[in-house]
Amino acid sequence: MHRLTALLFFAVLGIIGVPAAYATDPTTIVEQPIEFPHDRHAGDMGINCMYCHTYARRSIVSGIPPLAKCIGCHQNIESVKDKPRIKKLFEYWDKKQAIPWKKVHDLPDFVRFNHERHIQRFYFQQGKPVQEVCGYCHGDVKTMKVAQQVKPLTMGWCRSCHMEDHQVAKGSKETTNGPSDCWVCHK
Amino acid sequence: MNDGGIKRRDFLKVMGWGGASVALGGCGNASLESGAELVESYVQPEDFMVPGISVYYASTCTQCEAACAVHGRVREGRILKLEGNPDSSINKGKICGLGQAAVQSHYNPDRLTRPQIRQGGKLADATWEQAMTLLAQKVGPASGVQGGEFALLSGAVSGHLKVLLQNYVDSLGSKNHFVYDALSPAVTYSANKKIYGVESPRLRLDKAKMILSFGADFLGSWVSPVHFAGQYAQFRKAPRGVLVQVEPKMTLTGANADRWIPARPGTEGVLALGIANQLLQDAALAQKAPAGAAAAVKTYTKEMVSAATGVPADQMDKVVALLKERTPSLVLSGPSAEGHAHGSQTATAIALLNVILGNVGKTIEAPAALPFPQIAPSSGSYAGLREFNDGLSKGQYKAVFVYGANPVFTAPGFMGLGDNLGKAAFKVVFAESLDETAAQADLVLPLDSALEGWGTHVAHYQPGGTELNVQQPLMEKLHAETRGMGDVLLDLLKQRQPDQYKQWPDYYAYLKSAVLQNKAAFGQAASDDEAFWRGALSAGLLKVSAPEPAAVKVGSVEVSLPAAEADNAQYPLHLVPSVRHSFRDGRHANLPWMQESPDALTTMVWDSWAEIHPKTAARLGVKEGDYLEIASDKGAIKVKAYVFPGIHPGAVAVPVGQGHEELGRYAKGVGVNPFKILSPVFDKDTGELAMYATRVKVSKTGQHEKMVKDEGASNGKQAGTKIVVTLPTDKVNLAREV
Repeated sequence: MHRLTALLFFAVLGIIGVPAAYATDPTTIVEQPIEFPHDRHAGDMGINCMYCHTYARRSIVSGIPPLAKCIGCHQNIESVKDKPRIKKLFEYWDKKQAIPWKKVHDLPDFVRFNHERHIQRFYFQQGKPVQEVCGYCHGDVKTMKVAQQVKPLTMGWCRSCHMEDHQVAKGSKETTNGPSDCWVCHK
Repeated sequence: MNDGGIKRRDFLKVMGWGGASVALGGCGNASLESGAELVESYVQPEDFMVPGISVYYASTCTQCEAACAVHGRVREGRILKLEGNPDSSINKGKICGLGQAAVQSHYNPDRLTRPQIRQGGKLADATWEQAMTLLAQKVGPASGVQGGEFALLSGAVSGHLKVLLQNYVDSLGSKNHFVYDALSPAVTYSANKKIYGVESPRLRLDKAKMILSFGADFLGSWVSPVHFAGQYAQFRKAPRGVLVQVEPKMTLTGANADRWIPARPGTEGVLALGIANQLLQDAALAQKAPAGAAAAVKTYTKEMVSAATGVPADQMDKVVALLKERTPSLVLSGPSAEGHAHGSQTATAIALLNVILGNVGKTIEAPAALPFPQIAPSSGSYAGLREFNDGLSKGQYKAVFVYGANPVFTAPGFMGLGDNLGKAAFKVVFAESLDETAAQADLVLPLDSALEGWGTHVAHYQPGGTELNVQQPLMEKLHAETRGMGDVLLDLLKQRQPDQYKQWPDYYAYLKSAVLQNKAAFGQAASDDEAFWRGALSAGLLKVSAPEPAAVKVGSVEVSLPAAEADNAQYPLHLVPSVRHSFRDGRHANLPWMQESPDALTTMVWDSWAEIHPKTAARLGVKEGDYLEIASDKGAIKVKAYVFPGIHPGAVAVPVGQGHEELGRYAKGVGVNPFKILSPVFDKDTGELAMYATRVKVSKTGQHEKMVKDEGASNGKQAGTKIVVTLPTDKVNLAREV
């Protein structure tokens, strides 16, 4: 390779190529194997987020609901059984195959975000509405079809909330900030 | 890269700009990867499975023969880490670095994932169906192979797998099940049997007030290191026990000793008898000593022993004084003392000290009995390999199986085992990775990792009551085409004796029914089958109820040692093929964690080296990093010198375990293999290979390379370098400092 071309190649790779590989515009549309309508479930029917994302209050991750959870309801909902999405759902169930959902809110591996801490604090202790609490990071999911990332989820953005005063519990006048210790998230 | 290419400096400049732009990108919204990865969900999870929360399952570590009980931390169906199981009397909740690395062995990218069949001289991927058809054809009932035409070479085995291996060999009418371990403790066991009546007496390091160890590296690689490390901690608690270590090359245990004595290699027995002679001058000890002992050792005078061993008389006096003052004590003998032509006699001489000092029954206790001889551990020996090799060289095997051993790598070069293996018509190797032996096989069968398979294990060294340790899968198989050894053996047995084995669909079913049949032996005759089995799996071990063992009886302590070896002008130095805890016989050299962990004494990583005493190095003009040729009568290796004061001036030590030509990307081409230059010297009593009896000559090759190690300057002397500046407390001006 000619020297100049080679240098140019690395320069271009460095300035454009490499960041592009990491970049995700917050408005990127992620396509899923089944176009799951959050608006129907969380919006029209007003199902609590934690009915499906049941691990959010007890684990670091909220968890994608197991297939059995979808089937648990849908085997009794005759009216939509012939819809293409539901047919697809039962195809997976018949094959006993997990649905290969794509990760929409995917933090870098060096960041440790704990769902349990946030849900316990804002939902259980402060008694805020669940959709508001989840919505801090996930946006207004009840208006979306397939969930999309709408918040930046960057460190500066996390910090902007951690620096605010938050009520310790419902009715309490005492407030605290979110932790600012590096090791809380980077460990 | 200099001919019209990119200069390093230009490259760095450009990458600097590129890197800066990556960093800038990272500051914005752009470091997230929406939609780039899959998030696996469950179809129907178990109730207790919560993503992000770990669950623990009990199992057994198989990295060495100690059979420590472990708990595996599993998250989202993946095994992440092993911890010790506190209920086991072997490791009492602790685990060593090698045990930790079992996880890496499981996820190793070089694992075999498909059966391989030799076609046109090369191993090619095949299916299990093809493999089993080939096995039926070559060793099945229709093949006509039977009796002495079949041989199985295995590593040390115990538990129910041992039963199946034995049953399979029996089903062919063969007697050729050879058990081989390159680091065999066979000499220790035979000496123990002769003197104490049992192969593995319980050693109570924790009760001893003084330990005199002749080459037993109990903190590193000897017998049951995790257990002994725990006992050692007790031993060192106040009132602090005193440890004296006699060995040609400093081991981890030697480095922890209060006194480290490098006796001339091969004279450890003489030193022991010299100490015995001095002890017997004490009337109280002489009175209780076995008849004839005083007469047997009376020629081992201080002067004679000092001249033969090179240990100054005053050092011996100090050891004798400590032994008299501190009772009970414990005297141990290990591989570097026993690895000579008179190894068994040396072990006896060393054990005589325990008898004279009255340690038997105090710090040496009888082990608990194991009521099932079929599952008792068969520890390997060199004898097993020799018989296997003899059969191979005569071309008497039509089919051979190798499991749990890599003889092409570990057999001494003089045996010519690699060439002899070619004489067997059909060679099958069961392995997790393609090692040197598998590379020569006609059929290679990929095994489950230890974290994927079922099993039972009985440790040879049982510090408490006898334990049956249960091994259970800690996660689903990583590779669909690997199988458990037990499952393959069951299928092979079904080819021959379908009626006897058809009731068990797989090895798990066999194991479960075999353990359930013996509920009573575990003191749970009355419990429900399923409850008992669930209990066994959740505990990870079953304690065998056996009566308290009888006291150890002292047997024959007759000993005769040869006259000191004359100087060897052609091969003046002793080769010490030292054992690293990380690699043992080399089977773990494919674990990057183990390669990356610095050697405890030299801090070397990813390499082999030769330890050589500063005086010897000065005489030969050798500096650290000089390549040496170390030649015995059976071959030579080239390896970098490490000038090290922790070695006898008449010895040169090269660790075993490296120098692989196969075994995957992390092991291949790293270091040298000293097994290949061992001389054919054998222990006279047992016929075991005398691993420490090889004589070598050392010469400089003229090449030099920097050593890759963690420590600083050569010999790592930190004294006076002011790495950490300290002041005595009375000199500190607190008003100024605080």
